[in-house]
Amino acid sequence: MTSKQSAHWMTSEGSSQWRPGQAPHVARFESIGVALPTKRLTSQELLESLRHHPHIDLERLTGIHERRVADDGEDSLSLAVRAARDCLAHSAHDGGDLDMVLSCSISRYRSGFRQRFEPPLSLHIKDAIGASNALSFDISNACAGMLTGVFILNDFIRRGEIRRGLVVSGESISQLGVNASKQVRSIFSRQLASLTLGDAGAAVLVERVPDGQDRGGIDFAAFTTLAEHSRLCLAYPSRVGPGASMFTKSRTIHKVAIEDAPPLMRDALEQTGLRFEDIDYLIPHQTSSRAIRKGVAELSAQLGAMPKHVVDNLERFGNTSSTTHFVALHRYLEEGRIRPGERVLLLSLASGLEIGVVLLEMDQLVERYGSGTQVGGYGDADDVPVVPVGPAAR
Amino acid sequence: MSPLSRSALRLADTAAERCLRRGASEAAELDILINAGIYRDKNLGEPALAALIQEDIHANLGHPPGVGHGTFSFDVGNGACGVLSALQLLRGFLSSGAGELGMVVASDASPQPWPRGLIPQQRFPYRAAGGAVLVGWDDKVPGLTAFRSRTFPEYASLCEGWTEWRRRPRLFPSSPGGRNELRIVRRPGYEARAVDCAVDVIEDLFYEVDLSAGDVDLLVASLSADFGDALAGRIGLPEGRVVNVPEQFAGSHTAQIIAGLEQAERSGRLADSRTCLLVSAGSGITATAALYQQ
Repeated sequence: MTSKQSAHWMTSEGSSQWRPGQAPHVARFESIGVALPTKRLTSQELLESLRHHPHIDLERLTGIHERRVADDGEDSLSLAVRAARDCLAHSAHDGGDLDMVLSCSISRYRSGFRQRFEPPLSLHIKDAIGASNALSFDISNACAGMLTGVFILNDFIRRGEIRRGLVVSGESISQLGVNASKQVRSIFSRQLASLTLGDAGAAVLVERVPDGQDRGGIDFAAFTTLAEHSRLCLAYPSRVGPGASMFTKSRTIHKVAIEDAPPLMRDALEQTGLRFEDIDYLIPHQTSSRAIRKGVAELSAQLGAMPKHVVDNLERFGNTSSTTHFVALHRYLEEGRIRPGERVLLLSLASGLEIGVVLLEMDQLVERYGSGTQVGGYGDADDVPVVPVGPAAR
Repeated sequence: MSPLSRSALRLADTAAERCLRRGASEAAELDILINAGIYRDKNLGEPALAALIQEDIHANLGHPPGVGHGTFSFDVGNGACGVLSALQLLRGFLSSGAGELGMVVASDASPQPWPRGLIPQQRFPYRAAGGAVLVGWDDKVPGLTAFRSRTFPEYASLCEGWTEWRRRPRLFPSSPGGRNELRIVRRPGYEARAVDCAVDVIEDLFYEVDLSAGDVDLLVASLSADFGDALAGRIGLPEGRVVNVPEQFAGSHTAQIIAGLEQAERSGRLADSRTCLLVSAGSGITATAALYQQ
C-alpha cells in the first residue's frame, strides 16, 4: 500500500465521509441522565486537608468552588447505574429496548476502591438496568470516553446495525485528590490537577431519528489522537492510598491543546458547512475556568468568531472527567436554557491527546427536561455562568 | 508477536510494527487503532494504552496543518472477547467509510515487569504475549460478515481481575501502610461453563446466518489450549478443522485469538478456507463468535 492523502485530519462521521448507501439514518440524543453525590467538598476544605502548604488559591486558579464527593457505598458502578436509570426515567424506552451498552469511565471501582479490569463494568450495568439483550463492552479513552462511546453508537445507528444504545460512565475520582493531598507541595506539583476532580455519573441514550423527521440529531462527529503528547497525563493505582494517582504536565497539555484545537475545529466546521458563530452552545471539556477562557480566546482569534455561549460548569462540580459534557448539558436542559433547533457542540480535550467534536441540533430532547425536579441534585445552586466571549456574546 | 518481553506496551508495540511490515503498510496509513489488551504496565488507567502504542509506532503523531490525516486511538475492554469486539467496531468504521485502514492490538503482561516470584502476591497467571491484526476494506471480499455476542452474568464471579489496596506493616513511619495489588481469580468450573456459553452463542450465530457446523472450514478459538477441541466436539465440527494455538501463546490472554489467526494464516489454512469461525470466551462470562468469509 502507499501512503494516502486525505483532505481531513480527523476521523469523521459526516455525510461526506460515508460510503454511498452505507449511512441511511441519523442518530440523536433521546435522553440524558446524571447521578450526583449529595456530599460536597469545597476547594478551601480540600486545601486545608493538604499535608503540606502549597500557598495556592485553588478556587481562583481553577474556578472551582466545590465538587461532589461519593459517600460511603457509592462507587463508579453505583454512579453509572444511577445515571443510567435517570436516563431511562427521562426516556420513552426501558433497558430491554437497548441494543448496546457502552461503559466509558476511567475509574471502574466496584465495592469501594476495587478497580475492575474484568469482567467489564458494562456487564454489571446492563444487568442492573435490564438490558439483557444488549451488546456490551467497556471503552477506555480517558476524559474522552463518553464522547468516544457516542462516536461508536453514531456509527452503528447510522449504518442501521442497531436502533439505540446507551453510553454511560460513573466516575468516582475524588479519591485522587485525597491521594494528591499527601504529596502536593507547590503549584508546580504534577498532581495539582487531581485537586480539581469531582465525582459524577452520566448517561446518554442515543437512538435513530424516526424516518421522515428531517430536523435534529447528530450532524457530525470526529476524533483524532495527537499521540506525540500521549504521556503528558498518566494515571495509575496509587502508591500512597486506595484508588489512583494522576500525574499531569498541566501547563504543557493546556498549551498543546490550545495550539492544536483551532486547526482541527476549522477542519470540522469546514466539513459541516457551518461557521463558528453558528454554534449556539459550545461545551468544552471542563478542566479549569482559566483553561476554558484561554482556549476559547485562541479559538476566537484563529476562527475570527465566537459561539453564542460557552459553557463553564466548573464552579459547583469541578472536573468530573469523562462525564463533564453530559453533566453540563443535563444542567442546561434542566434549567431550560437550550431550545429546540439550537446547535450544541461538545468539544473533547483529553489525555492521549484526544481531540474530538460532536455537533448536534437540539430536538425533542429539550422537552424531556426543565421540570425543575432535577434527579441529580442541583438543589439551590446558582446559575451556571456563561463566559462572556467577545463581540458575538449575547 | 514477541512473548519474550514482559512489558505489555512493548509487546503491543512489537506486534503492531511486525503486523504493519507483514501487511506492507505504514503506520501513517492507520485511521483507527484499537487496543483490546487488559493487563498492562503499572495497571495504567489513563490515557488509553492505544495512544501510547500510536506514539511508539509513529502513527500520525501530530497535526501538520493542511495535509495528511490523523489516527484515532482508544481501548476496548471486554476480557478475552475484546479483540473480536474491536474487530466488530473496525468493521463498522471501515464499511461506513469513517476509515480505510485500522488495527487491533492486544497484549497482556504482569503490571510489574520484575522477575516472577520476587513479589509472590503479584504472580501473574497469564503468559505475556501480544498480537496485532491489520484490517482494511475490500468491496470484493465478504470478510468479517457476522458477529454474535452474549453475556452470562450468572457466571460473573468465575473469572475476575481487579486492583485493590492491601494493608501492609509499616516498615518506616513514612511508609504508606499498604499498596494497590492486582488480583486475578479464576474459579473452578470457569472453563467448562465458558464452553457451554460459547456453544450457545455459536448456535445463535448459525441460526441467524443459516449455517451449520459442516459449512465451517476452520475454527479459531481462544480461552485455553483445549477450548477449540472442546467446542468442535460439542457443535459437531468435522475433524481437522480446529486451529491449535502455538505453544508459546498457550496460556496467553487477549492476544490468543490473534495467535490462532496468525497460525492459520502462516500455515496457509486460512487462505484455503471459505468460512472461518472465530470464537472467544472470557470473563463475564462473555462469549463472542464471528465469521470471516472469503
